[in-house]
Amino acid sequence: MDERLEKAIEISNIMKTLSGQKKILKEKYQNDLLFFYNGSQFLVTYDLISFCNTLISLNQEEHILVDDNGIPTLIENIEDFRSKIVDTYAQASNRYYTEYNKLKNKRSIKDIIDL
Amino acid sequence: MSKGILVFAFNNSHINYISQAIELSKRAKRHLNLPVSIVTDIEIQNSVFDNVIFYNLKSQNIKQYYDGSLSNKGLAFKNDARIAAYDLSPYEETLVLDTDFLIADDKLIHCFKQKNDFCILTNAVDIAGFRDIREFCHVSDKSVQFYWATIVFFRKTELNKIFFDLLNHIYENWYHYKQVYQIEGRTYRNDHAFSIAIHIMNGFVDNDFAVPIPGSVLYTTDRDILYEIDQDDFVFLIEKEKRLGEYTLVRTKNQSVHVMNKFSLDEALKNE
Repeated sequence: MDERLEKAIEISNIMKTLSGQKKILKEKYQNDLLFFYNGSQFLVTYDLISFCNTLISLNQEEHILVDDNGIPTLIENIEDFRSKIVDTYAQASNRYYTEYNKLKNKRSIKDIIDL
Repeated sequence: MSKGILVFAFNNSHINYISQAIELSKRAKRHLNLPVSIVTDIEIQNSVFDNVIFYNLKSQNIKQYYDGSLSNKGLAFKNDARIAAYDLSPYEETLVLDTDFLIADDKLIHCFKQKNDFCILTNAVDIAGFRDIREFCHVSDKSVQFYWATIVFFRKTELNKIFFDLLNHIYENWYHYKQVYQIEGRTYRNDHAFSIAIHIMNGFVDNDFAVPIPGSVLYTTDRDILYEIDQDDFVFLIEKEKRLGEYTLVRTKNQSVHVMNKFSLDEALKNE
């Protein structure tokens, strides 16, 4: 095989493996962003955090939020709720950032998979 | 209220579902701290199970089991006990799991903390990423939404009793329902029976009788190979697109995975 093609295919295989690992990492991140509160499930997003901030700035203490399954849930203490979802977001994002950076600099399949 | 996991394990000539169930039970206790009951047709003496429930199967199918993309075998597929889960379960709150589900995190504990009385897996993610997943979206091209009976959570309520009775009715009249819901293939599948029953319970429209299990669940098909299990790290060989017999290495860490290649799961468990 032409050496140039051989090298390109080797890189192609590495990129394929890398892309698979990134996909799995992203899936884990999405699961880590789930926050459970009084039997309801919320995916922590920028929108959710901002909306809680808006409610707090309007001096709302409790409010109804609709969870991921469409179930209305009474949030009795919005500030406490906001603090917990920000914590969930920070932990998940830090983990994602660390793992992603470990991965992105790896340049062989053996390193990527940690064999 | 009593809580626990119910697992169904019926060996065939090549696949040791019991050893898979033992692995599942150990992982369930470690990650979820829940008791596990097994439903089977042979005598088992293993302390990892809190209850061993004997069940006489009504029938068995023959299914093609793949072991990677190049090898397959037609083997007995004994899957009709799951419809009796409501009556068999010793728990008020039950999580039914497939034996080929490798638990590596505690996400499923939230099933017991949420308010809905019936949850089922809908958000399953193929690790390969390129495969045609239409069969896992709808039971057939022109039919209803697909639900995975791989993970089912239910509380013992009147409504859920009606649901499981309906499942029994669907099973007994499978040929009729298979026609009505335009399901191809001859093999009875719990995924399809559960999907049909949910559609009926929903009033034949999209509705909320069943809500999704919290989060998503990764899966590999039987065309992939489980290469190694090291505690909660799993290494897979995932089939390559349009490259028969070639694979891409993938490692998962602290993420539960549904492993459909039973041969390689058995093999990896022996080598663990």
